[in-house]
Amino acid sequence: MSSLVRRLAAMSDARVFAIAGGGGRWGVQDLRLADGIELVASPRAASVLLVAGAIGSRQHEAVRRVHDALPHPRATIRWGEANGGQPVPDAELVPAGSDPVPAIRAAHRALMLGARTSEAALLPDEEPAAWRGVGPYGQGGSGMTGGTPYGRPMAELGPDRDGLRLDVLPTRLGPFFAAMVHGLELDLRVAGDVVVGAEVAAAAVAPTAGGAASPFVRALIEPMPIADLEVARARDHLRWTAEALRLHGLEALSRRALLLARTAAPGQGPAVRALGAAVARAGVFRWAVPPADERRRDLLAHASLGPSTRACGFPVDERLADPAYQGLGFSPILGVDGGVAAVWRARLDEAAMSLDLAARAGGATTAVTGSVEGPRGRLSTGDAPAGRALGLVPALIEGLEWGDALSTLASLDIDLDEMASVQLAFA
Amino acid sequence: MTDLGPLAIASAVMVAALLAVLGSWLSSARRPASRTAPERVPFTGGRPPSVHAWSRYHARYYPMALLFLAFDMEMVFMYPWAVVFVSEGIVAMVEMGMFIAILLLGVLYAWRERAFTWT
Repeated sequence: MSSLVRRLAAMSDARVFAIAGGGGRWGVQDLRLADGIELVASPRAASVLLVAGAIGSRQHEAVRRVHDALPHPRATIRWGEANGGQPVPDAELVPAGSDPVPAIRAAHRALMLGARTSEAALLPDEEPAAWRGVGPYGQGGSGMTGGTPYGRPMAELGPDRDGLRLDVLPTRLGPFFAAMVHGLELDLRVAGDVVVGAEVAAAAVAPTAGGAASPFVRALIEPMPIADLEVARARDHLRWTAEALRLHGLEALSRRALLLARTAAPGQGPAVRALGAAVARAGVFRWAVPPADERRRDLLAHASLGPSTRACGFPVDERLADPAYQGLGFSPILGVDGGVAAVWRARLDEAAMSLDLAARAGGATTAVTGSVEGPRGRLSTGDAPAGRALGLVPALIEGLEWGDALSTLASLDIDLDEMASVQLAFA
Repeated sequence: MTDLGPLAIASAVMVAALLAVLGSWLSSARRPASRTAPERVPFTGGRPPSVHAWSRYHARYYPMALLFLAFDMEMVFMYPWAVVFVSEGIVAMVEMGMFIAILLLGVLYAWRERAFTWT
């Protein structure tokens, strides 16, 4: 009986929680198309932990905490760079260029059949504070309303709409929260499901050692073929679309966007427009994203955040200053209200336009260096759009309901890899 | 067979309950060693929570009672209505339409009172 259950479990898809370190983001995203594994949103639902890309020593503890959150039996696969020390000492190594899926499948199978022992906890078994036996009922503190029961203080109090004072929960999200880019740490204060306070605690991924910089970062230093840049831009927009669609629960469309992102080539504008029409038909813009408002528009207007700013109707685009693009008849696509739906539309429309431009560009190269329009906004020496977007995060998400806050955060497309490579290239 | 029907259902329920009890006993008997402190903490992305998980919130009984009444009344009247619907025909249909329209006002009121939002 027991062995039958084990064999059945071994036949199932391996459930994987993936941590995307520096340079690991798109590799992890590609695993969503792989057969035999399933990426899950919480380590509690996983049997295998995949640690991809570069992990700095600052994040070792967080990785270990995620590792300990996996239920037994569990195994860890380390995919990619091993410099900077290993957060999980027993992890099985898979080199950066190779496919981690066979190793993940094998680890899952061995765990389920009992051929591989579960990894022990990495963090010490210590409560955050001594509590057993402390307090009149042994609950660890001075009481249930304001004390520190079980070693942790109670939530803060804040006013609610009925004039009562109810709990405002300080919530620490990240660095490996599935609905946000990995590396981003947010400290939120949540009343019910409304975000009443937000602060960016940290936002960084470890830079990859010797990894190829993105074509946009290279375009800061040397002229680059416009066709290459525009295809890369379309692919980034489509990858973002795939991620955002998954976040909004549209898995099948997300797979379609991801397949298109991997194969996008000059002249495939119509395929991207068909995807855009499918996304609009799915109703995302009507029910899944927060409505546009003036405050958001004012915040994004001067941040030079590419599609987010252009969706507000402002023609802010570094390509307008480049004679090579002028020669191709480039003019930016502008939105009106700057809402999250407008940002989605802007990204999809720009992806299609980029593939059209790439088809027209021939061998033309960029004429301006030092300041380039990246997929997420203006890139210049030492200044990445992610840095400017991070400054806006608190003002943009405060007052929104939880789902709207995550949707807004996703619409900014904070790319910490790009930020790291811009800083590294000009350090 | 029809006489034994209720008995068969009752025994099926009892067997299911027994299996459930047996299953929960087996799973607790085979549970792995107790988890460590970091393993017990709720997962929010890799940092430990700063506050305890006990959270006080307002259940808002009044709007909830209002909503319950609206939907409960609907059900209470729809069962007898369903019995006579075929014989009464279109008249019953129109009357139920009117009744539901009136009840809907209550739901709309609850909506305006933000009974459907958490905070």
